[in-house]
Amino acid sequence: MDVSSILEAQKAKLQSVLVEKETPLEVDAGHLMVCDINPIDEESYNENLEDHLQNLARDGIQVLIGNLFSLPITKSPDGPLAQLPTSVYQLPRAKPLPKPKPPTKWESFAAAKGISHRTRDRKEWDEERQEWVNRWGKDGRNKQAEEQWLTPVPHNADADYNPQLVARKERKERTAKNEKQRLANIARASGTSASSSRKDEIDRTLATTRTSTASLGRFDKKLEGEKKLRGVKRKFEPTEISTANEQKANLNLIARMDSDARKMRKDPRAEEPVLNARKAIRSASKGKGSAALAGASGRNSSKGKGGKGRR
Amino acid sequence: MLRVIKPRNARSKRAMEAREPKEVEDPRTVIFVKGTHTGETLNAVFKDLMALKRPHGIGFNKKNPIHPFDPSTPGSSSSSSVSSLEFWSAKNDASMFVVGQTTKKRPNGMTFVRMFNGRVLDMIEVGVEGYKAMSEFKTPKSTPGNKPLLHFASDLFDTHPRFIHLKSMLLDFFNGEEVDSISLLGLEHVISISVGPTPASLNDATSTNLLSSSTAESTHANPLAAVASASFIESSSPSAATAALPKVHIRTYTTKFLASGVRTPRVELVPMGPSLDLALRRFQPPDADLLKQAMRRPKLKKADVESGLGKKRKNVELDEMGDLRGRVHVGKQDLSKLKGRKMKGLQEERPRKKQRSDEEDDEEEDEE
Repeated sequence: MDVSSILEAQKAKLQSVLVEKETPLEVDAGHLMVCDINPIDEESYNENLEDHLQNLARDGIQVLIGNLFSLPITKSPDGPLAQLPTSVYQLPRAKPLPKPKPPTKWESFAAAKGISHRTRDRKEWDEERQEWVNRWGKDGRNKQAEEQWLTPVPHNADADYNPQLVARKERKERTAKNEKQRLANIARASGTSASSSRKDEIDRTLATTRTSTASLGRFDKKLEGEKKLRGVKRKFEPTEISTANEQKANLNLIARMDSDARKMRKDPRAEEPVLNARKAIRSASKGKGSAALAGASGRNSSKGKGGKGRR
Repeated sequence: MLRVIKPRNARSKRAMEAREPKEVEDPRTVIFVKGTHTGETLNAVFKDLMALKRPHGIGFNKKNPIHPFDPSTPGSSSSSSVSSLEFWSAKNDASMFVVGQTTKKRPNGMTFVRMFNGRVLDMIEVGVEGYKAMSEFKTPKSTPGNKPLLHFASDLFDTHPRFIHLKSMLLDFFNGEEVDSISLLGLEHVISISVGPTPASLNDATSTNLLSSSTAESTHANPLAAVASASFIESSSPSAATAALPKVHIRTYTTKFLASGVRTPRVELVPMGPSLDLALRRFQPPDADLLKQAMRRPKLKKADVESGLGKKRKNVELDEMGDLRGRVHVGKQDLSKLKGRKMKGLQEERPRKKQRSDEEDDEEEDEE
């Protein structure tokens, strides 16, 4: 059997797909990019630019297509999908890398204990109703104790014991606790503890109240061990600073002056009249406005004694 | 600077979250800004580039007094043009600009501005010298939003810092979404970027002092670093150097796959338009610090590393049963510490005690 003719035919077929260049083309399949680093042929460039460019592009794209068609393929309803490798050529990012989220107290505890995360369904199976119901929210399962028609009451309960109310209170407390823990997690993540900021707040309030009497706290009774109230110490810049710092400070000042013309009183401001017409009208009309004033004066002139209450 | 707004409802919260930094980024949104004067050509170029960039392009209709290359005023840290760009970037969540401006000195100038983290990273100005609109080609067009095949042809894109810079910029401009798989039937259009023949003067320059220090491999992985670090000869005489640079030709084609008898089809190209001939003008290389931040890559996930993503997987292979088999190199064995079978004769001689006389030793040896 002579296979040479078949081989020849196959070779001819391959010929139409093969591209031969001095330096092999670099393909970056991740970006669908092909780079041809062979020097440009000046003759064909000058002869017919468009044809030259099209031929150049065709050769490059043929190599790229050959590379893409040889990638591992998965089937999909839209046709074959080629799995692209990661791109080699690196482009700068548009935004910095995302910062990792700080773990919550529970997450760090779970990590230390090796507890794996488990997602809980939003719905729960209700045996009585034979259907899936919300765990919380509208018709939530967590409100079952409040809504059932019959509730056991403990023996030693008070006369006004309301089981529905108690269940509701418990549920609300759970929510409040969760919210508190959430806020504490946020505070921990931001680096300031809730207690220290609260202490500062109390200190500030105390300082304000101590100077809030008529004598600014001079004749108040002092508690034992109470510290003297300290004011803010004024601080001055040293008279000699490095020229670089001085220049920076001055430039800063100039920049700030540029920013707000009104604050810097650059343009002569429109003269404000001594009489504030709006306020005058308001006061004269007893807050009823200029229209009321005009109406009242017109009526007064025509009728003399006003028909008070006859509007 | 924009106000930092706390989202008040779920919709605005989702919108804010969509703008937060992501590990795998969305394609760059490009804003097309008209300068104080844009001619007919530039307007048409913008229209066509927008068509190629759709749906990730935003067009500004009004004129804006934007001159990105103007030196910054001494009072403030950045020029007003740059601060406007930064403002627009934050407002529109866009990280690339194309600014058009035509003047007598620099007719039909387009400036590509790339941003990182709301700040200007680098800029390239090109002049449009030849242009043929997409509408002038009466040929089928590609689907909007389709990922193009990119073709760069010239040795300059690997050697000359100006062209390395341009390649990175244009790749970023035309490159769409980062995808891990692509439909082979959807390879519709091609953007080919090539350069005129390299002039002899440039040939010498590239061989002698440009990028001679950096190895080819490092330029491939992080090409812009070379641009930032390369000391440009152009900076001394910008006009003379840019005049010597060859033109850049951007052509767009649609693909036609012909049956070839083998798996790979034969590709034919049909011009689609637009076609642009560009001349390089002013530029601003990326700031080295900012670039270093911009080039940071996310750490690969464990699953990805195991599948061999990102790195060459060594000494690990799947056998026929689908089991992962690894080979471990245990280091060279120190044979001197090898404990063999204990035999008195092979033991080293102990240091002799002084109390013993020589005779006793002799006797012992005899016994053995």
